[in-house]
Amino acid sequence: MNNSSNSLRFIGIGAVIAIFGGLSGFASEYMLGIGFTLFMYIALAQSWVILSGMTGYISLGHVVFFGSGAYVFVLMWGLVPVWLGVALSGLVVGIGALIIGYPVLRVRGPYFVILSFGLAELVKNLVLINEARMYMSLRPVFGAPSLAQLYIAMLVLAVAATGLTYWVRRSRFGAGLRSIREDEWAAETIGIPVARLKLIAFALSGIVPAMVGAIFIMRSGIFQPGDAFNPIVSFTIVTMAIIGGSDDAPGPLLGVGFLVILQELLWANWPEIYMIILGILLISFVLFAPSGIYGWLSANISRSKKNAA
Amino acid sequence: MDILLSPQLLAAALITGVLYALISLGLNLIYGTMRLLNVAHGDLVMIGAYIAFIVFSLFNVGPLVSMFGAAVICGGLGWFAYKSIFQNLLSNSQILARLEENSLLLFFGISVVVQNLVILFFTADRQGYEYLSAIVEIGDVRLTGARLAVLIVGSVISIAAVLYLRFSLFGLAMNALIQNRDASAVVGINVDRVQMFSLIIGFGITGLAGALISVLEPITPVMGFPYTMSAFVVIILGGLGNLWGGFLAGLLLGMLEIFGVAITGPEWRSVLVYGIFIGILIFRPQGLLGRGKIAR
Repeated sequence: MNNSSNSLRFIGIGAVIAIFGGLSGFASEYMLGIGFTLFMYIALAQSWVILSGMTGYISLGHVVFFGSGAYVFVLMWGLVPVWLGVALSGLVVGIGALIIGYPVLRVRGPYFVILSFGLAELVKNLVLINEARMYMSLRPVFGAPSLAQLYIAMLVLAVAATGLTYWVRRSRFGAGLRSIREDEWAAETIGIPVARLKLIAFALSGIVPAMVGAIFIMRSGIFQPGDAFNPIVSFTIVTMAIIGGSDDAPGPLLGVGFLVILQELLWANWPEIYMIILGILLISFVLFAPSGIYGWLSANISRSKKNAA
Repeated sequence: MDILLSPQLLAAALITGVLYALISLGLNLIYGTMRLLNVAHGDLVMIGAYIAFIVFSLFNVGPLVSMFGAAVICGGLGWFAYKSIFQNLLSNSQILARLEENSLLLFFGISVVVQNLVILFFTADRQGYEYLSAIVEIGDVRLTGARLAVLIVGSVISIAAVLYLRFSLFGLAMNALIQNRDASAVVGINVDRVQMFSLIIGFGITGLAGALISVLEPITPVMGFPYTMSAFVVIILGGLGNLWGGFLAGLLLGMLEIFGVAITGPEWRSVLVYGIFIGILIFRPQGLLGRGKIAR
């Protein structure tokens, strides 16, 4: 790949982002809502990839960051300016992830997967108990910014998360993370600081979802622990990343695009059918195409290029 | 602290413990012989409970009979799962290397599909029925007939199953597979057959437990998940593949849960179970009875 095609590509990506941003000025509420959901899941799935795609530490409870961010934000609601609150919720959850990450990431392989789910449920139940104690079964969020503003904010997060994944995938840090996925013992033996790398990846993959959670709460206008920590969100993130391919930034984009359309068509009226299709897709991709749409495409394209040459 | 000494609470703890022992026995067989992380395990409890409920509402036949039907049907599901998915996966050495994690995602997908199919057919509403609801008094302990029956039947079946798997030839073959899969093929054990029966028996026992549970709590499509969690706690506590250890750990978890809730309050139940689970994974992943150090 030469420099001119690279810069062309950046101009193209910049143009796409600008168009999406410009849409906020005149698109209908409905279209903005779909865009909002799309960007939300892009941001979430890309964050998931930084931890789970790169290191192989599959998190089935990524909603814990989303929900915690929303909770932190809602506790600060009205006390600090809105966008400062969003940033702070990312910061608080990131610091929290650094603290709990240390013991949690000592648990390896399949146990980590179950642990991540258990952790999300534990935090959900603790929040439920805390809310019951404060006699708050739901917290309304009045006077949130307009949908157009939230749409732009979500777009920024989606771009940031995608850029972060793109950068991590090509950095020395990312190479270290991927060595953990391939063989953690060997990586540790040759002197890669696996514990520190995992911890940083864990925190990085939590910051954006926390801010996403905060913005999502402003869109829905209400905080309910059951919704904010809904395991369906975790499940959707995992399925999106696995369907798209979880080794590089383009993968989640493909998976998210595909599933958001499906979700838009089905979730509101037929949530069960939506979940069944999601489950079947997950099973099929794990069985037949474990590297996802993007992995499959890039394998086939490189093969046909080789044949042509 | 008087409450902790009451025999009433002890009976409740034993009932919960026996059911945990029974359910985790099935999970232990499946994980032990094939290293399959069956996160859909609790959904078999749910299926068993629905079978008992349907049989009772259609034919007025109680769970003490229909539990055998539930066992057969769930065992059949185990056979189907083995033939359709896992036989192939287990014979492919490339897939075998990453099988634990992949099996978890597979079962997760299966769990979601099963739960939502049940919601489609039976709605998400709670179901339930009255069965042996008369109170029986034994000394100071007052139990409904149904709970007493669950206690007796559950203990008999779980102890019988553990003894059978410990002393029968088939049980020995299964134990060999749990200890060393490759070596047991070398000494002439039909690995394929043992795996298939582990899945059938594991699913069947769990379905039976589900039929028993149907008289104790409301039947819902999502009732299974807490049992999945508890079963994992139990087999990790008792040591993976260790059937006696699992039986004792099941009783222990039942005690911890019932007495813990008695001290703190019912809203803490999930927190207790998940807290114990996370604590064990972090601090003693080799189990309470296990030996050896697991490095970071």
